[in-house]
Amino acid sequence: MGSLTGKRALITGGASGIGRAMALLFAREGAAVAIADLDETGGEAVVQMIEDGGGRATFVLCNVTQAQDCRRAVRFTVEELGGLEILVNNAGIIRRASVLDTTEEEWDQVMAVNVKSIFLFSKYAVPVMAQAGGGVIINTASGWGLVGGRRAVSYCASKGAVVNMTRAMALDHGAQNIRVNCICPGDTDTPMLRDEARQLGEPEKRFLAEAAQRPLQRIGRPEDIAQAALYLASDASSFVTGTALVVDGGGLAG
Amino acid sequence: MRGLKGKRVLITGGAGGIGTATAARFLEEGAQVVVLDRDETALRRVERELPALSGCITADVSDAAAVGRAFEELDGLLGGLDVLINNAGISLRHRFLDIPPQEWRRVMAVNLDGVFFVAQQAARRMLAGEGGTILNMGSTNGLVGYHYYADYNASKAGVIELTRSMALELAPRVRVNAVCPGFILTPMQEAEYTPEEQRAFASKLPLDRLGRPEDVAALFAFLASDDASFITGQCLVIDGGEIAGGLASQP
Repeated sequence: MGSLTGKRALITGGASGIGRAMALLFAREGAAVAIADLDETGGEAVVQMIEDGGGRATFVLCNVTQAQDCRRAVRFTVEELGGLEILVNNAGIIRRASVLDTTEEEWDQVMAVNVKSIFLFSKYAVPVMAQAGGGVIINTASGWGLVGGRRAVSYCASKGAVVNMTRAMALDHGAQNIRVNCICPGDTDTPMLRDEARQLGEPEKRFLAEAAQRPLQRIGRPEDIAQAALYLASDASSFVTGTALVVDGGGLAG
Repeated sequence: MRGLKGKRVLITGGAGGIGTATAARFLEEGAQVVVLDRDETALRRVERELPALSGCITADVSDAAAVGRAFEELDGLLGGLDVLINNAGISLRHRFLDIPPQEWRRVMAVNLDGVFFVAQQAARRMLAGEGGTILNMGSTNGLVGYHYYADYNASKAGVIELTRSMALELAPRVRVNAVCPGFILTPMQEAEYTPEEQRAFASKLPLDRLGRPEDVAALFAFLASDDASFITGQCLVIDGGEIAGGLASQP
């Protein structure tokens, strides 16, 4: 019996990268999974993989910056899967630019996808969880929510916001038996990371090799992050709330 | 948890509440477990409670020579080491202005020197073998201030920083992390606080309950497992949300 048997999880940005790895792992551990994403093809492919493995999954097309989409996605999850115990606010984008090269539109877009989506999804999920007697919210933050990074100012601002709203939400909703934590990955090998290389005009291979320069001498894998999310989603972490779990191969140790 | 079956585990302070719960958890995972403690009577009790233990060693971790001898005994029992739970520690409640020098020294000697002596011996063995993981016992007291425990708090802050430096130097074959519990209700704590005092403290926490030794044991099991193989140099807080806000400044 898996550690998430009987649980229903909604994962934003679940069609690729870290979100996809979380969806696959949670399903293997017995959860029914709803994937909310703009990428319908990718999302449906993950659903198919889960169902081929004997699990239960569903996809909902969702623009996480739009309140009505978020509300609909939460309602859809509850109707399709029968409830919602685990919300993973994982959708995120990155723009590699300083304040000089970041347009207003890009700033607003990064803040909307990375921060406002968490506010919106949590706004609609918390009442569902509270009514059911409890739940778990996991936010994908970043090491760059704890320290600064070069040419990534909108991203750093957004991820710093994620880290501290996690703490604020933990204080607000502990009484409703809702635990709220975030994960701070380092460089993780995902389509988003490879797109970063392109944004910076760097050869992908060199970019990835640099990302492996950390104490554990390898780049992160989506599965590393998914395992941390599994710990936070399960009853094993039932006394853990308001924390930031760094999974980065030691990048922030020094 | 993946990767714990058959692993050789040493737990210092293994006769206390968290140590015993952790020993029980690792035994459930199929590991070979040795507990070390300075309290011989308590060790005998643990031996009776957990007959599957591979051994019990009596030693005071603040004594470098005693730690050396303890590890020689451990070599005989397990032939090597994969996981160290560096948990032995003491706390004394006193106002900063009243701390006698010998009490300051005693707290530092057990909580910081002891962690260092044991970790160094363990790390050498892990590097001579197939690597491993070291988990140091920190505390929320090492991250924020608290009244009446200035020496304990300083020692735990030292453990947390030592953890980071160890992680850098021992990577990639040895992972090192610190676990930072808040208020965990152990037999020692139950003896010290009345049920009313316990409830009063719990009601200040977002999760409205005190921690259990099993909660900390579960975090140790996760961090020691393959599922945490990309986590090093970190301190993981397990506190019911206590330090998420500014509560900790209350006496």
